Amino acid sequence: MKNKKQNKAQMKIQQMSFMIIAVFIFLAVVGMMVFTIKLNSIRISANELEAQNAKLLASKIANSPEFSCGNLYGGSKTDCIDLDKVMALKSNVGKYTGDFWGVSNIEIRKVYPEWVWEDKECTPNNYPNCSMIHLITSSEKGEGKYNYVSLCRKEIYRKKIDGRTFDEVVDKCEIGKIIIRYGGEEDE
Amino acid sequence: MIKNKKGAMEFSFAWIFAIIAGAIILSLAIYGVVKFMKIQGSEIDAQTAMGIGVLLNPLESGFEDSKRVLMEISTDTRIYTGCNNDSIFGRQTITTSQKLSGEWSNEGVNVPFQNRYIFSKNPVQGKDFYVFSKPFEMPFKIADLIYVTSTEDKYCFVNPPDEIEDEIKLLIGENVRENENFILESRKVNCPSESTQICFDTQSGCDIYVNRNLRRVQRSSETVWYEGDALMYAAIFSNKKDYECQIDRLMNRTEQIYEIYQDKAEFVLKKTNCDSQLDVEIMRMINLLINFQDSEDLSVISDMSEEIEKKNKAYPECRLWY
Repeated sequence: MKNKKQNKAQMKIQQMSFMIIAVFIFLAVVGMMVFTIKLNSIRISANELEAQNAKLLASKIANSPEFSCGNLYGGSKTDCIDLDKVMALKSNVGKYTGDFWGVSNIEIRKVYPEWVWEDKECTPNNYPNCSMIHLITSSEKGEGKYNYVSLCRKEIYRKKIDGRTFDEVVDKCEIGKIIIRYGGEEDE
Repeated sequence: MIKNKKGAMEFSFAWIFAIIAGAIILSLAIYGVVKFMKIQGSEIDAQTAMGIGVLLNPLESGFEDSKRVLMEISTDTRIYTGCNNDSIFGRQTITTSQKLSGEWSNEGVNVPFQNRYIFSKNPVQGKDFYVFSKPFEMPFKIADLIYVTSTEDKYCFVNPPDEIEDEIKLLIGENVRENENFILESRKVNCPSESTQICFDTQSGCDIYVNRNLRRVQRSSETVWYEGDALMYAAIFSNKKDYECQIDRLMNRTEQIYEIYQDKAEFVLKKTNCDSQLDVEIMRMINLLINFQDSEDLSVISDMSEEIEKKNKAYPECRLWY
Protein backbone atom coordinates (compact mmCIF):
# COMPACT_ATOMS: atom_id res chain seq x y z
CA MET A 1 0.00 0.00 0.00
CA LYS A 2 2.79 2.33 1.04
CA ASN A 3 4.83 1.47 -2.06
CA LYS A 4 1.80 2.03 -4.29
CA LYS A 5 1.31 5.51 -2.84
CA GLN A 6 5.01 6.31 -3.16
CA ASN A 7 4.95 5.21 -6.82
CA LYS A 8 1.88 7.39 -7.42
CA ALA A 9 3.64 10.42 -5.91
CA GLN A 10 6.76 9.74 -7.97
CA MET A 11 4.61 9.50 -11.10
CA LYS A 12 3.03 12.86 -10.30
CA ILE A 13 6.44 14.45 -9.78
CA GLN A 14 7.65 12.97 -13.04
CA GLN A 15 4.54 14.19 -14.86
CA MET A 16 5.02 17.66 -13.48
CA SER A 17 8.73 17.65 -14.31
CA PHE A 18 8.00 16.64 -17.89
CA MET A 19 5.32 19.30 -18.10
CA ILE A 20 7.69 21.97 -16.78
CA ILE A 21 10.44 20.89 -19.19
CA ALA A 22 7.95 20.98 -22.07
CA VAL A 23 6.75 24.46 -21.08
CA PHE A 24 10.34 25.59 -20.74
CA ILE A 25 11.31 24.22 -24.16
CA PHE A 26 8.19 25.81 -25.67
CA LEU A 27 9.07 29.20 -24.17
CA ALA A 28 12.67 28.86 -25.34
CA VAL A 29 11.55 28.05 -28.91
CA VAL A 30 9.13 31.00 -28.95
CA GLY A 31 11.84 33.27 -27.51
CA MET A 32 14.31 32.18 -30.15
CA MET A 33 11.78 32.78 -32.91
CA VAL A 34 11.07 36.30 -31.62
CA PHE A 35 14.81 36.94 -31.31
CA THR A 36 15.46 35.75 -34.89
CA ILE A 37 12.66 37.94 -36.28
CA LYS A 38 13.99 40.92 -34.31
CA LEU A 39 17.55 40.26 -35.46
CA ASN A 40 16.36 40.14 -39.08
CA SER A 41 14.55 43.44 -38.73
CA ILE A 42 17.72 45.00 -37.25
CA ARG A 43 19.72 43.61 -40.20
CA ILE A 44 17.18 45.00 -42.69
CA SER A 45 17.22 48.47 -41.11
CA ALA A 46 21.05 48.40 -40.98
CA ASN A 47 21.15 47.56 -44.71
CA GLU A 48 18.61 50.30 -45.46
CA LEU A 49 20.73 52.84 -43.59
CA GLU A 50 23.84 51.63 -45.41
CA ALA A 51 22.15 51.93 -48.79
CA GLN A 52 20.99 55.43 -47.85
CA ASN A 53 24.55 56.24 -46.82
CA ALA A 54 26.02 54.80 -50.04
CA LYS A 55 23.99 57.19 -52.19
CA LEU A 56 26.18 60.02 -50.98
CA LEU A 57 29.33 58.16 -50.11
CA ALA A 58 30.91 57.96 -53.58
CA SER A 59 30.31 61.65 -54.09
CA LYS A 60 31.52 62.47 -50.60
CA ILE A 61 34.80 60.61 -51.17
CA ALA A 62 35.37 62.28 -54.55
CA ASN A 63 34.88 65.67 -52.89
CA SER A 64 37.01 64.97 -49.82
CA PRO A 65 40.26 67.00 -49.52
CA GLU A 66 42.40 63.92 -50.24
CA PHE A 67 40.81 63.48 -53.70
CA SER A 68 39.20 66.73 -54.74
CA CYS A 69 40.48 69.08 -57.49
CA GLY A 70 39.30 72.15 -55.61
CA ASN A 71 39.67 75.08 -58.00
CA LEU A 72 42.94 73.87 -59.49
CA TYR A 73 41.67 72.86 -62.91
CA GLY A 74 39.84 75.93 -64.14
CA GLY A 75 37.36 76.87 -61.45
CA SER A 76 35.36 75.06 -58.82
CA LYS A 77 34.27 71.59 -59.85
CA THR A 78 32.24 69.07 -57.88
CA ASP A 79 32.93 65.37 -58.34
CA CYS A 80 36.36 66.15 -59.77
CA ILE A 81 39.33 64.01 -58.72
CA ASP A 82 42.90 65.33 -58.87
CA LEU A 83 44.68 62.25 -60.25
CA ASP A 84 48.17 63.60 -59.44
CA LYS A 85 47.06 63.95 -55.82
CA VAL A 86 45.52 60.48 -55.83
CA MET A 87 48.83 59.03 -57.07
CA ALA A 88 50.52 60.75 -54.11
CA LEU A 89 47.75 59.49 -51.83
CA LYS A 90 48.36 55.96 -53.09
CA SER A 91 51.78 55.95 -51.45
CA ASN A 92 50.31 57.32 -48.18
CA VAL A 93 47.09 55.31 -48.17
CA GLY A 94 48.36 52.91 -45.50
CA LYS A 95 47.60 55.56 -42.89
CA TYR A 96 43.99 55.75 -44.03
CA THR A 97 43.12 52.39 -42.59
CA GLY A 98 40.01 51.25 -40.82
CA ASP A 99 36.81 53.08 -41.38
CA PHE A 100 38.17 56.46 -42.42
CA TRP A 101 35.90 56.66 -45.47
CA GLY A 102 33.56 53.94 -44.23
CA VAL A 103 34.28 51.68 -47.22
CA SER A 104 36.25 48.51 -47.78
CA ASN A 105 37.31 49.26 -51.38
CA ILE A 106 37.99 52.41 -53.41
CA GLU A 107 38.78 52.11 -57.08
CA ILE A 108 39.10 54.80 -59.74
CA ARG A 109 38.70 53.89 -63.41
CA LYS A 110 39.09 55.92 -66.57
CA VAL A 111 36.00 55.57 -68.74
CA TYR A 112 36.52 58.01 -71.61
CA PRO A 113 38.46 58.28 -73.87
CA GLU A 114 38.69 54.51 -74.18
CA TRP A 115 42.13 53.26 -73.41
CA VAL A 116 44.26 50.71 -75.20
CA TRP A 117 45.80 49.81 -71.86
CA GLU A 118 42.53 48.64 -70.41
CA ASP A 119 42.71 47.19 -66.88
CA LYS A 120 46.24 48.44 -66.36
CA GLU A 121 46.91 49.48 -62.77
CA CYS A 122 48.56 52.92 -62.45
CA THR A 123 52.03 53.01 -60.95
CA PRO A 124 54.46 55.96 -60.77
CA ASN A 125 56.29 54.39 -63.73
CA ASN A 126 53.40 53.94 -66.17
CA TYR A 127 51.21 56.90 -65.08
CA PRO A 128 49.26 58.37 -66.91
CA ASN A 129 49.30 55.52 -69.45
CA CYS A 130 47.08 53.32 -67.33
CA SER A 131 43.39 52.92 -66.63
CA MET A 132 42.74 52.27 -62.98
CA ILE A 133 43.89 52.97 -59.45
CA HIS A 134 43.05 50.66 -56.60
CA LEU A 135 43.37 52.69 -53.42
CA ILE A 136 41.84 50.58 -50.72
CA THR A 137 41.39 46.91 -51.36
CA SER A 138 40.11 44.19 -49.13
CA SER A 139 38.95 40.65 -49.65
CA GLU A 140 35.56 41.62 -48.28
CA LYS A 141 32.92 41.44 -51.00
CA GLY A 142 30.20 44.00 -50.71
CA GLU A 143 27.79 46.00 -52.75
CA GLY A 144 29.64 48.08 -55.37
CA LYS A 145 28.43 51.64 -55.97
CA TYR A 146 29.88 54.07 -58.43
CA ASN A 147 29.65 57.66 -59.43
CA TYR A 148 30.91 59.38 -62.58
CA VAL A 149 33.69 61.88 -61.95
CA SER A 150 36.16 64.09 -63.83
CA LEU A 151 39.75 62.88 -63.59
CA CYS A 152 42.13 65.82 -63.95
CA ARG A 153 45.92 66.06 -64.02
CA LYS A 154 48.81 68.25 -65.14
CA GLU A 155 50.45 67.18 -68.36
CA ILE A 156 53.20 68.33 -70.69
CA TYR A 157 51.88 69.53 -74.01
CA ARG A 158 54.47 69.77 -76.76
CA LYS A 159 53.65 72.51 -79.23
CA LYS A 160 55.45 73.74 -82.32
CA ILE A 161 55.72 77.43 -83.10
CA ASP A 162 57.70 78.49 -86.17
CA GLY A 163 59.32 75.08 -86.36
CA ARG A 164 60.52 75.24 -82.78
CA THR A 165 59.20 72.89 -80.10
CA PHE A 166 57.96 74.20 -76.75
CA ASP A 167 56.84 72.29 -73.67
CA GLU A 168 53.80 73.70 -71.92
CA VAL A 169 52.17 72.43 -68.74
CA VAL A 170 48.44 72.03 -69.36
CA ASP A 171 45.44 70.76 -67.41
CA LYS A 172 43.96 67.56 -68.80
CA CYS A 173 40.63 66.16 -67.68
CA GLU A 174 39.00 62.87 -68.62
CA ILE A 175 35.85 61.02 -67.63
CA GLY A 176 36.08 58.28 -65.06
CA LYS A 177 34.21 56.68 -62.26
CA ILE A 178 34.86 56.12 -58.62
CA ILE A 179 33.75 52.71 -57.44
CA ILE A 180 33.29 52.09 -53.76
CA ARG A 181 32.51 48.87 -52.02
CA TYR A 182 31.43 48.49 -48.47
CA GLY A 183 30.73 45.40 -46.40
CA GLY A 184 27.19 44.21 -46.86
CA GLU A 185 25.26 42.24 -49.41
CA GLU A 186 26.95 40.49 -52.30
CA ASP A 187 27.42 42.35 -55.53
CA GLU A 188 24.48 42.08 -57.86
CA MET B 1 -5.58 10.80 10.95
CA ILE B 2 -2.13 9.63 9.98
CA LYS B 3 -3.48 8.91 6.51
CA ASN B 4 -4.78 12.46 6.25
CA LYS B 5 -1.50 13.83 7.43
CA LYS B 6 0.33 11.77 4.80
CA GLY B 7 -2.11 13.01 2.13
CA ALA B 8 -1.53 16.57 3.23
CA MET B 9 2.23 16.02 2.95
CA GLU B 10 1.86 14.69 -0.61
CA PHE B 11 -0.39 17.57 -1.66
CA SER B 12 1.81 20.27 -0.18
CA PHE B 13 4.97 18.83 -1.82
CA ALA B 14 3.36 19.00 -5.28
CA TRP B 15 2.28 22.57 -4.62
CA ILE B 16 5.67 23.60 -3.28
CA PHE B 17 7.31 22.02 -6.35
CA ALA B 18 4.90 23.76 -8.72
CA ILE B 19 5.30 27.12 -6.96
CA ILE B 20 9.11 26.95 -7.05
CA ALA B 21 9.18 25.85 -10.69
CA GLY B 22 6.53 28.44 -11.62
CA ALA B 23 8.45 31.19 -9.84
CA ILE B 24 11.65 30.24 -11.70
CA ILE B 25 9.85 30.24 -15.07
CA LEU B 26 8.11 33.54 -14.31
CA SER B 27 11.29 35.26 -13.13
CA LEU B 28 13.14 33.99 -16.22
CA ALA B 29 10.35 35.31 -18.44
CA ILE B 30 10.36 38.71 -16.67
CA TYR B 31 14.16 38.86 -16.92
CA GLY B 32 13.95 38.03 -20.62
CA VAL B 33 11.33 40.71 -21.30
CA VAL B 34 13.32 43.37 -19.37
CA LYS B 35 16.50 42.38 -21.23
CA PHE B 36 14.64 42.45 -24.55
CA MET B 37 13.23 45.92 -23.82
CA LYS B 38 16.73 47.17 -22.96
CA ILE B 39 18.11 45.75 -26.22
CA GLN B 40 15.25 47.41 -28.09
CA GLY B 41 16.05 50.73 -26.39
CA SER B 42 19.72 50.41 -27.34
CA GLU B 43 18.68 49.51 -30.89
CA ILE B 44 16.59 52.69 -31.18
CA ASP B 45 19.46 54.76 -29.75
CA ALA B 46 21.99 53.17 -32.13
CA GLN B 47 19.63 53.70 -35.08
CA THR B 48 19.18 57.36 -34.10
CA ALA B 49 22.96 57.86 -33.73
CA MET B 50 23.67 56.19 -37.08
CA GLY B 51 20.80 58.11 -38.67
CA ILE B 52 22.31 61.38 -37.41
CA GLY B 53 25.64 60.34 -38.93
CA VAL B 54 23.96 59.62 -42.29
CA LEU B 55 22.03 62.90 -42.13
CA LEU B 56 25.31 64.77 -41.71
CA ASN B 57 26.67 63.41 -45.04
CA PRO B 58 25.40 66.24 -47.29
CA LEU B 59 26.85 68.80 -44.87
CA GLU B 60 30.20 67.09 -44.89
CA SER B 61 30.32 66.99 -48.70
CA GLY B 62 30.21 70.77 -48.66
CA PHE B 63 26.95 70.78 -50.64
CA GLU B 64 25.14 72.71 -47.97
CA ASP B 65 27.70 75.27 -46.89
CA SER B 66 26.25 78.29 -45.03
CA LYS B 67 22.85 76.67 -44.95
CA ARG B 68 21.18 75.30 -41.88
CA VAL B 69 19.24 72.08 -41.78
CA LEU B 70 16.57 71.28 -39.22
CA MET B 71 16.93 67.74 -37.92
CA GLU B 72 13.70 66.57 -36.33
CA ILE B 73 13.61 63.57 -34.01
CA SER B 74 10.19 62.40 -32.84
CA THR B 75 11.16 61.89 -29.19
CA ASP B 76 13.13 63.98 -26.73
CA THR B 77 16.75 63.06 -27.44
CA ARG B 78 20.13 63.72 -25.91
CA ILE B 79 23.01 63.60 -28.38
CA TYR B 80 26.36 62.87 -26.77
CA THR B 81 29.36 63.68 -28.95
CA GLY B 82 32.66 62.13 -28.01
CA CYS B 83 36.15 62.83 -29.26
CA ASN B 84 39.00 60.39 -29.15
CA ASN B 85 42.50 61.01 -30.52
CA ASP B 86 44.16 57.67 -29.86
CA SER B 87 44.95 57.03 -33.55
CA ILE B 88 46.20 59.15 -36.48
CA PHE B 89 42.80 60.55 -37.34
CA GLY B 90 41.13 59.93 -33.99
CA ARG B 91 37.42 59.26 -33.77
CA GLN B 92 34.24 61.24 -33.46
CA THR B 93 31.60 59.26 -31.64
CA ILE B 94 27.88 59.86 -31.45
CA THR B 95 25.64 58.27 -28.85
CA THR B 96 22.06 59.08 -28.14
CA SER B 97 19.69 58.61 -25.27
CA GLN B 98 15.95 59.01 -25.63
CA LYS B 99 13.17 59.82 -23.22
CA LEU B 100 10.87 56.81 -23.21
CA SER B 101 7.91 56.68 -20.79
CA GLY B 102 9.28 59.68 -18.89
CA GLU B 103 12.71 58.13 -18.30
CA TRP B 104 15.98 58.64 -20.14
CA SER B 105 17.33 55.45 -21.64
CA ASN B 106 20.97 54.51 -21.07
CA GLU B 107 23.39 55.89 -23.64
CA GLY B 108 23.13 53.67 -26.71
CA VAL B 109 25.81 52.07 -28.82
CA ASN B 110 28.78 54.30 -29.72
CA VAL B 111 28.73 55.08 -33.44
CA PRO B 112 32.27 56.10 -34.47
CA PHE B 113 33.35 58.24 -37.45
CA GLN B 114 37.00 58.88 -38.29
CA ASN B 115 36.43 61.75 -40.71
CA ARG B 116 33.78 63.82 -38.91
CA TYR B 117 34.25 66.81 -36.67
CA ILE B 118 31.13 67.74 -34.73
CA PHE B 119 30.96 70.72 -32.40
CA SER B 120 28.05 71.02 -30.00
CA LYS B 121 27.06 71.35 -26.39
CA ASN B 122 27.65 67.99 -24.74
CA PRO B 123 25.05 66.53 -24.45
CA VAL B 124 22.82 68.59 -26.66
CA GLN B 125 19.19 67.93 -25.82
CA GLY B 126 15.88 68.46 -27.56
CA LYS B 127 13.54 67.21 -30.26
CA ASP B 128 14.68 69.52 -33.04
CA PHE B 129 18.28 70.33 -33.87
CA TYR B 130 19.77 72.88 -36.23
CA VAL B 131 22.83 71.64 -38.09
CA PHE B 132 25.18 73.62 -40.30
CA SER B 133 28.74 73.26 -41.55
CA LYS B 134 31.75 75.35 -42.54
CA PRO B 135 34.97 74.31 -44.25
CA PHE B 136 38.18 74.44 -42.25
CA GLU B 137 41.05 75.57 -44.46
CA MET B 138 44.80 75.72 -43.84
CA PRO B 139 45.05 77.17 -46.59
CA PHE B 140 43.37 74.39 -48.63
CA LYS B 141 40.31 72.60 -47.35
CA ILE B 142 41.07 70.14 -44.59
CA ALA B 143 37.57 69.14 -43.49
CA ASP B 144 34.04 70.33 -42.98
CA LEU B 145 33.24 71.25 -39.40
CA ILE B 146 29.70 70.42 -38.35
CA TYR B 147 27.83 72.42 -35.72
CA VAL B 148 24.80 71.00 -33.93
CA THR B 149 22.56 73.17 -31.74
CA SER B 150 19.23 72.37 -30.15
CA THR B 151 16.23 74.63 -30.75
CA GLU B 152 15.91 74.65 -26.95
CA ASP B 153 19.30 76.40 -26.56
CA LYS B 154 19.12 80.03 -27.64
CA TYR B 155 22.30 81.82 -28.74
CA CYS B 156 22.25 85.60 -28.70
CA PHE B 157 25.01 87.19 -30.80
CA VAL B 158 25.60 90.70 -29.44
CA ASN B 159 26.83 93.27 -31.92
CA PRO B 160 28.92 90.90 -34.03
CA PRO B 161 31.24 92.18 -36.80
CA ASP B 162 29.56 92.70 -40.18
CA GLU B 163 30.75 89.48 -41.82
CA ILE B 164 29.54 87.36 -38.88
CA GLU B 165 26.24 89.24 -38.76
CA ASP B 166 25.72 88.62 -42.49
CA GLU B 167 26.49 84.95 -42.09
CA ILE B 168 24.12 84.52 -39.14
CA LYS B 169 21.40 86.37 -41.07
CA LEU B 170 21.99 83.94 -43.94
CA LEU B 171 21.74 80.98 -41.56
CA ILE B 172 18.53 82.29 -40.00
CA GLY B 173 17.04 82.87 -43.45
CA GLU B 174 14.47 85.38 -44.59
CA ASN B 175 11.57 83.98 -42.61
CA VAL B 176 12.42 83.70 -38.94
CA ARG B 177 11.06 80.41 -37.67
CA GLU B 178 9.18 79.96 -34.39
CA ASN B 179 11.89 77.70 -32.98
CA GLU B 180 14.76 79.93 -34.15
CA ASN B 181 17.68 79.68 -31.74
CA PHE B 182 20.07 82.27 -33.24
CA ILE B 183 19.31 85.82 -32.19
CA LEU B 184 21.09 88.95 -33.38
CA GLU B 185 21.07 91.94 -31.03
CA SER B 186 23.01 95.17 -30.90
CA ARG B 187 22.83 95.34 -27.08
CA LYS B 188 23.18 92.63 -24.47
CA VAL B 189 20.10 93.78 -22.51
CA ASN B 190 17.88 92.93 -25.46
CA CYS B 191 18.88 89.25 -25.37
CA PRO B 192 16.32 86.78 -23.95
CA SER B 193 17.21 86.00 -20.34
CA GLU B 194 17.56 82.24 -20.92
CA SER B 195 19.88 82.68 -23.91
CA THR B 196 23.64 82.21 -24.07
CA GLN B 197 25.04 85.66 -24.79
CA ILE B 198 27.99 85.84 -27.16
CA CYS B 199 29.77 89.16 -27.15
CA PHE B 200 32.34 90.44 -29.58
CA ASP B 201 35.34 92.55 -28.53
CA THR B 202 33.86 95.35 -26.44
CA GLN B 203 30.81 94.10 -24.52
CA SER B 204 31.03 92.89 -20.94
CA GLY B 205 29.03 90.60 -18.65
CA CYS B 206 28.39 87.97 -21.33
CA ASP B 207 28.53 84.16 -21.18
CA ILE B 208 31.01 83.92 -24.04
CA TYR B 209 33.51 86.54 -25.24
CA VAL B 210 35.01 86.46 -28.69
CA ASN B 211 38.16 88.51 -29.06
CA ARG B 212 38.64 88.93 -32.80
CA ASN B 213 42.02 90.67 -32.42
CA LEU B 214 43.62 88.02 -30.26
CA ARG B 215 41.51 85.33 -31.96
CA ARG B 216 40.41 83.75 -28.75
CA VAL B 217 37.13 82.68 -27.17
CA GLN B 218 36.55 82.91 -23.41
CA ARG B 219 33.82 81.09 -21.52
CA SER B 220 33.88 81.51 -17.71
CA SER B 221 37.39 80.33 -16.79
CA GLU B 222 38.05 78.53 -20.09
CA THR B 223 40.04 80.13 -22.92
CA VAL B 224 40.61 78.64 -26.34
CA TRP B 225 42.26 80.05 -29.46
CA TYR B 226 41.00 79.91 -33.01
CA GLU B 227 41.98 80.81 -36.57
CA GLY B 228 39.25 81.55 -39.08
CA ASP B 229 35.49 81.73 -38.63
CA ALA B 230 34.99 77.98 -38.83
CA LEU B 231 37.01 77.46 -35.65
CA MET B 232 35.42 80.51 -34.00
CA TYR B 233 31.98 78.87 -34.25
CA ALA B 234 33.52 75.61 -33.08
CA ALA B 235 34.88 77.32 -29.96
CA ILE B 236 31.50 78.98 -29.29
CA PHE B 237 29.39 75.83 -29.55
CA SER B 238 31.61 73.28 -27.78
CA ASN B 239 33.42 73.03 -24.47
CA LYS B 240 37.20 73.38 -24.13
CA LYS B 241 37.91 69.65 -23.71
CA ASP B 242 36.02 68.64 -26.86
CA TYR B 243 37.34 71.64 -28.82
CA GLU B 244 40.99 70.91 -28.02
CA CYS B 245 40.55 67.22 -28.84
CA GLN B 246 38.92 68.02 -32.20
CA ILE B 247 41.64 70.58 -33.00
CA ASP B 248 44.24 67.92 -32.30
CA ARG B 249 42.45 65.54 -34.71
CA LEU B 250 42.19 68.30 -37.31
CA MET B 251 45.91 69.08 -37.03
CA ASN B 252 46.72 65.41 -37.53
CA ARG B 253 44.61 65.34 -40.67
CA THR B 254 46.22 68.60 -41.85
CA GLU B 255 49.62 66.95 -41.42
CA GLN B 256 48.54 63.94 -43.50
CA ILE B 257 47.20 66.14 -46.30
CA TYR B 258 50.41 68.19 -46.32
CA GLU B 259 52.34 64.93 -46.68
CA ILE B 260 50.17 64.08 -49.70
CA TYR B 261 50.91 67.51 -51.22
CA GLN B 262 54.62 67.00 -50.49
CA ASP B 263 54.51 63.74 -52.50
CA LYS B 264 52.37 65.39 -55.19
CA ALA B 265 54.93 68.20 -55.62
CA GLU B 266 57.67 65.62 -56.11
CA PHE B 267 55.50 63.54 -58.46
CA VAL B 268 54.45 66.50 -60.63
CA LEU B 269 58.05 67.76 -60.78
CA LYS B 270 59.29 64.39 -62.06
CA LYS B 271 56.46 64.08 -64.58
CA THR B 272 56.15 67.60 -65.94
CA ASN B 273 59.26 69.38 -64.71
CA CYS B 274 56.93 71.83 -63.02
CA ASP B 275 58.42 73.00 -59.72
CA SER B 276 56.02 74.40 -57.13
CA GLN B 277 59.04 75.44 -55.00
CA LEU B 278 57.03 74.67 -51.88
CA ASP B 279 58.99 71.70 -50.57
CA VAL B 280 60.88 73.62 -47.85
CA GLU B 281 57.77 75.41 -46.57
CA ILE B 282 55.72 72.20 -46.60
CA MET B 283 58.47 70.46 -44.63
CA ARG B 284 58.47 73.28 -42.06
CA MET B 285 54.69 73.14 -41.83
CA ILE B 286 54.76 69.36 -41.25
CA ASN B 287 57.25 69.90 -38.42
CA LEU B 288 54.99 72.53 -36.85
CA LEU B 289 52.03 70.18 -37.10
CA ILE B 290 53.97 67.29 -35.57
CA ASN B 291 54.84 69.49 -32.58
CA PHE B 292 51.32 70.88 -32.17
CA GLN B 293 50.26 70.97 -28.50
CA ASP B 294 47.01 72.93 -28.16
CA SER B 295 44.93 75.68 -29.76
CA GLU B 296 47.42 78.34 -28.65
CA ASP B 297 49.79 77.00 -31.35
CA LEU B 298 47.22 77.68 -34.07
CA SER B 299 48.46 81.21 -34.80
CA VAL B 300 51.96 79.98 -35.77
CA ILE B 301 50.44 77.33 -38.04
CA SER B 302 48.07 79.87 -39.57
CA ASP B 303 50.95 82.30 -40.27
CA MET B 304 52.89 79.51 -41.96
CA SER B 305 49.83 78.57 -43.97
CA GLU B 306 49.50 82.16 -45.22
CA GLU B 307 53.15 82.14 -46.25
CA ILE B 308 52.64 78.86 -48.14
CA GLU B 309 49.53 80.21 -49.86
CA LYS B 310 51.40 83.29 -51.07
CA LYS B 311 54.16 81.15 -52.55
CA ASN B 312 51.65 78.74 -54.09
CA LYS B 313 49.97 81.68 -55.84
CA ALA B 314 53.32 83.02 -57.07
CA TYR B 315 53.74 80.09 -59.48
CA PRO B 316 50.31 79.71 -61.08
CA GLU B 317 51.43 77.14 -63.64
CA CYS B 318 52.75 74.77 -60.99
CA ARG B 319 50.20 75.38 -58.24
CA LEU B 320 49.58 72.37 -56.05
CA TRP B 321 46.08 73.52 -55.03
CA TYR B 322 43.78 76.43 -55.65
